[in-house]
Amino acid sequence: MKKRYVYWLMLPGLLFLTLFMLLPIIHTIGSTFFQEGQFTFEGYLHFLRDRYYVDILLTTMQVSLVTTMACIVVGFPVAYHISMLSPRKKGFLLALAIFPLLTSSVVRSFSWIIILGKNGLLNSWLVGLGLIDQPLEILYTPTAVMIGLIHLFLPLLIISLVGVMENIDPDLVKAAESLGSSRFTVFRKVIFPLSIPGLILGSILIFVGSMTAYTTPTVLGGKKRVIATFLYQNAITLNDWNSASVIATIMIVITLLVIGLMTKMSHKFRVKG
Amino acid sequence: MTLLALENVSVAYDHQHYILRDFNLNIERGQFISLLGPSGCGKTTTLRLIAGFLEAKSGQFTFNGKNYTKVPVNKRNFGFVFQSYALFPHLSIFENVAFGLRLRKVSDSEIAKRVSRMLEIVSLTGYEKRFPKELSGGQKQRVAIARALVIEPDLLLFDEPLSNLDANLRVNMRVEIRRIQQELGITTVYVSHDQEECFSISDQVAIMNNGVIEQLDRPSTIFKYPRTEFVAKFIGFSNFIEFAYREDRDGEIWLKDKATSFRVPKHAGTDKSGGRKIAIRPEDINITADSPFIPSTGQIDTGKELNQVAGAVMVSTFLGRSYQYVVRTEMGDFTVNREMEEPYANGQKVLLTFPGDKLVIVN
Ligand SMILES: Nc1ncnc2c1ncn2[C@@H]1O[C@H](COP(=O)(O)OP(=O)(O)OP(=O)(O)O)[C@@H](O)[C@H]1O
Ligand SMILES: [Mg+2]
Repeated sequence: MKKRYVYWLMLPGLLFLTLFMLLPIIHTIGSTFFQEGQFTFEGYLHFLRDRYYVDILLTTMQVSLVTTMACIVVGFPVAYHISMLSPRKKGFLLALAIFPLLTSSVVRSFSWIIILGKNGLLNSWLVGLGLIDQPLEILYTPTAVMIGLIHLFLPLLIISLVGVMENIDPDLVKAAESLGSSRFTVFRKVIFPLSIPGLILGSILIFVGSMTAYTTPTVLGGKKRVIATFLYQNAITLNDWNSASVIATIMIVITLLVIGLMTKMSHKFRVKG
Repeated sequence: MTLLALENVSVAYDHQHYILRDFNLNIERGQFISLLGPSGCGKTTTLRLIAGFLEAKSGQFTFNGKNYTKVPVNKRNFGFVFQSYALFPHLSIFENVAFGLRLRKVSDSEIAKRVSRMLEIVSLTGYEKRFPKELSGGQKQRVAIARALVIEPDLLLFDEPLSNLDANLRVNMRVEIRRIQQELGITTVYVSHDQEECFSISDQVAIMNNGVIEQLDRPSTIFKYPRTEFVAKFIGFSNFIEFAYREDRDGEIWLKDKATSFRVPKHAGTDKSGGRKIAIRPEDINITADSPFIPSTGQIDTGKELNQVAGAVMVSTFLGRSYQYVVRTEMGDFTVNREMEEPYANGQKVLLTFPGDKLVIVN
């Protein structure tokens, strides 16, 4: 029982989390089921009946899903490449990949305005090169939000993938090659399946991060709302805390569902070695 | 018939430091050949070169009459068994063994047939559904062997496949490996630094030192007649004497120094032209107590007995069945093993006799 004191060390943290996280969450969720002292699902029914609300929810899900997919497609080859390098080069490239994480997301979102705007860098290039006649309408659309989010979250995926890929025994690659695999087959039959745990972890982080992102959609999304900005609007601008609580609860449920689903998938693909 | 030939091959991991330089090796079809040598001498490097994991800086690799120097690993059809087993952790035992067959687009029914026959050969029938994590070291090793064999490779390569196993299992597994190799008649290159292992399973053993093959011979030949000092030392000849002069008479070689001369009858271990260094194992030297009445002058050639040297015991060590002595003589220190009840005391005057047929001339 010498280790008793360890529990005392945990106490401040536990107290903090209980007081400022657990209790508020319980209160928030609880409050959504009561109107004027009566138990009711009216809050949720009201939300789900309204086309406008459901649209926001679907847009958010779509943005998060596309962001996650795009990060996987872009990040996988990069992570594979980095994991194959010598430790020195690996360190350098990883530092480069992580570097964007060190700048504020506000600054990063604003810099996308300069690039994506009607008279921004991208459009002036494309028009200058004669590829398009009219500037593209990207800024203040979900596409702009996705671009901002991909930029924001790509490093997370790369880090979690490099983490698992580094630990794949190089002899496995050699064994597959000696049995007749081409480079691509090695990737498909050995590297990819063994990277799935990192992939799932990265995807969860990105999906949940995109679902709850606030700054990027605010800056790049214009009038188009996603669920996080919608929640803010309800709570602060409209002072409708009841709706805000309903939205928060829906977000929590969706987040938990996604995490549960992905974890289940990762168990299915779990490396049995 | 030569199946595999490495000609003047040089390998370097960086640009200046050559691990193999002008390396040559010929292997006959159906042979089991071992590469044996101290750590870092280039055994694994040689094996990786043959497998195609490494590219030679120069030289040529011929296999089955074809130039294989630039053929990539996945086109060589060689089986490789790794020290770490390298089983795919995400695949069942069945799928591990079937891996190479699936790549070769073999039909499912054919795969099922060949995999189960292979698992039978390595005595792992019934383990198909398990995963590598659920097997013991020896079982994993057998899966690794099955996986390499099932593709019917043109050459089988082993890199210290048994070094992670305990002593008993090692002996069993090496017998297994030899049995399977002979049953299937696959030419095999085997790397190990366990002497006994190499000698017991190989048709030919190549003793390597510093990126060079010092001797390539049948195990018994190497054991009895090492050609170089390095090989002799490596297989347990711990006594060496270098003479200043050599004279070849019919049937005998006379080796002389200022103080002594030795006569060595010609045999398979003495045919190195001009060699003036002899080697002998510690257990082949006869040791007897020197009678105090005969003055030991060290002038052996004047005495009746040939190849005798007088000396005194400096150190004696108990080895279990025998005693080992370090005997100091005019010609240097010798290590001598002798089975006896009571050891000689330190300082005891002794006579060492070197039987001519046990003496080997080395380069
Ligand atoms: N990837 C590498 N990069 C640079 N040098 C290497 C590399 N692999 C091996 N070497 C060097 O090449 C030499 C031969 O190595 P090799 O692995 O062939 O030895 P080995 O005979 O297999 O030894 P062991 O019995 O310890 O396995 C060693 O000096 C080693 O330091
Ligand atoms: Mg080695």
